[in-house]
Amino acid sequence: MKINGVQIDDTFAEAFPMKATRIIITAMTLKWAYRAANAIRGFASSVIACGIEADIERELKPSETPDGRPGISVMIFAMSTKDLEKHVATRVGQSVMTTATTACYSGLESEQTVSIGKSLRFFGDGYQISKVVNGRRFWRIPVMHGEFICEESTGVTKAIGGGNFLVLAKTARHGLAACEKAVDEIQKLPGVITAFPGGVVGSGSKVGSKYKFLTASTNEAYCPTLKGQVKSELTDEIGSVLEIVIDGLDEDSINQAMRVGIKAACSFGLAKGICRISAGNYGGNLGPHLFHLRKLLK
Amino acid sequence: MSALTFTLKTPPKFTLNVAPLIPENLEGKTLAKIKTIKLIYGNETVKVDALFSMKGTDSSHICLDKSTDKLINVGQKMTRGSIFIKGDVGDFLGQGMKNGKIIVDGNTGAWAGNAMSGGRIDIHGNALDYVGAGAPGDTFGMTNGLINIKGNAGDRVGDRMRRGIIIIQGKSGNYCGSRIHAGTIIVLDKVGKLPGEGMRRGTIILAKKPAHLSATFKSCGNLKMQFLRLLFTQLANIDDELALFSKYGPEAHRFSGDLARNGKGEILILQHYK
Repeated sequence: MKINGVQIDDTFAEAFPMKATRIIITAMTLKWAYRAANAIRGFASSVIACGIEADIERELKPSETPDGRPGISVMIFAMSTKDLEKHVATRVGQSVMTTATTACYSGLESEQTVSIGKSLRFFGDGYQISKVVNGRRFWRIPVMHGEFICEESTGVTKAIGGGNFLVLAKTARHGLAACEKAVDEIQKLPGVITAFPGGVVGSGSKVGSKYKFLTASTNEAYCPTLKGQVKSELTDEIGSVLEIVIDGLDEDSINQAMRVGIKAACSFGLAKGICRISAGNYGGNLGPHLFHLRKLLK
Repeated sequence: MSALTFTLKTPPKFTLNVAPLIPENLEGKTLAKIKTIKLIYGNETVKVDALFSMKGTDSSHICLDKSTDKLINVGQKMTRGSIFIKGDVGDFLGQGMKNGKIIVDGNTGAWAGNAMSGGRIDIHGNALDYVGAGAPGDTFGMTNGLINIKGNAGDRVGDRMRRGIIIIQGKSGNYCGSRIHAGTIIVLDKVGKLPGEGMRRGTIILAKKPAHLSATFKSCGNLKMQFLRLLFTQLANIDDELALFSKYGPEAHRFSGDLARNGKGEILILQHYK
């Protein structure tokens, strides 16, 4: 199968179950909401070492936010609800509450929740105030810029992490141009994020390592510099491989994101240095969600 | 299905306790069975059909037609459905209600929303004293829910309330929000003497400066309250009845008090509209 001269490998991406939540950050201006959102998604590229994976989902108009101010929707993924419980409140406390004029609300309704304001309220040192409005509990924490408003908790839902595809290109410059366009297209979709910096992974990993203390290590089969040294998946003309990893709320979201992303990358074509599209899988040992490239592109 | 409608045959001379006429009590019952339900009328007991004519079948939506202020305990302890009252209604409207909705197209007596813990009451006319308050002997008044009064309210609105929201679009009497433990009271017209007297926590939002404010409230200055922005946005989004809150802004003069209690309550006097 080829799109615009780019070969689509007959393989699949292998994804695994995760837990996800969504928070809404508002501020006096969109600029300051972005500053808080960028802070919370910093060092949240992979659960391997960051604990969570997080990214901006989309901008929100004032009419879409609980307090009528401009906002940002941020999605946060983790391997378990316990991990979310641990990281969400910490990150909101250090990244959002510290950003001037911000407020933080739940962006997901669910019976299962993780706390935000329930934990952060103690920063109010006894001056915090609880308010139930329209069935939702908010905490008003007096802070130096005025009041930090924070919802009691946010919903948790089942999700999928690790949807991916690999862009195999002649050079890193070719690959990066295609990946940037792919990420731009994926970011227009709701319910998915690409948590790595710029949405692109420069150092895709395999599970395990020769070193016992490592759970993940470099994916040597896709390293151009090791082509002659290991059993490589790369042909001579390929000089760079970049990966786009997608976390989403369900299989449909990831399917759509992969489809849109691959088509965007392929739009550059072989003429512009994009040789193949492949995907990361581990023989079906990593997770139960398999995304077959050729099937989803039909 | 049309709403199950109870129409008073003649105006009652004595108070009539209609507490049994709530959706969960009438669900699954035939009209014939409902007609035999006993109500306390003055100092005697009468059957429903002695006082009301009935029509309709949908017991989850009840209508009381030609209602007067002699009807008391309407919607007592209701947990679902709705009650629509055409006319006035007496004391203890929605007492102890847990959920559902009551709409009064008229005035109400005292103690509307007494000890309610959920649901919503809309009063299109005026309400007498002790809206959302706790009855004598109760620790708390209302503990959740929303009361929206388009007209005026009497004295001691929300006395000892614990949680919930009371909106008075008209005037409020004296001691509005007295002794409240928490919760929110909004008055969009004039308020009587000494609002928030003895309040522990909670918020009283006044669109107009009160004539008398207790000396035990301390000014925190004019502020843009982020909470007000959130509250008004949320209220305006509930339905058209509350859409008027979209015109209110976050600027307010904040007074904390009552310092004679623990001083963690607040009175917010709105400064100007958007």
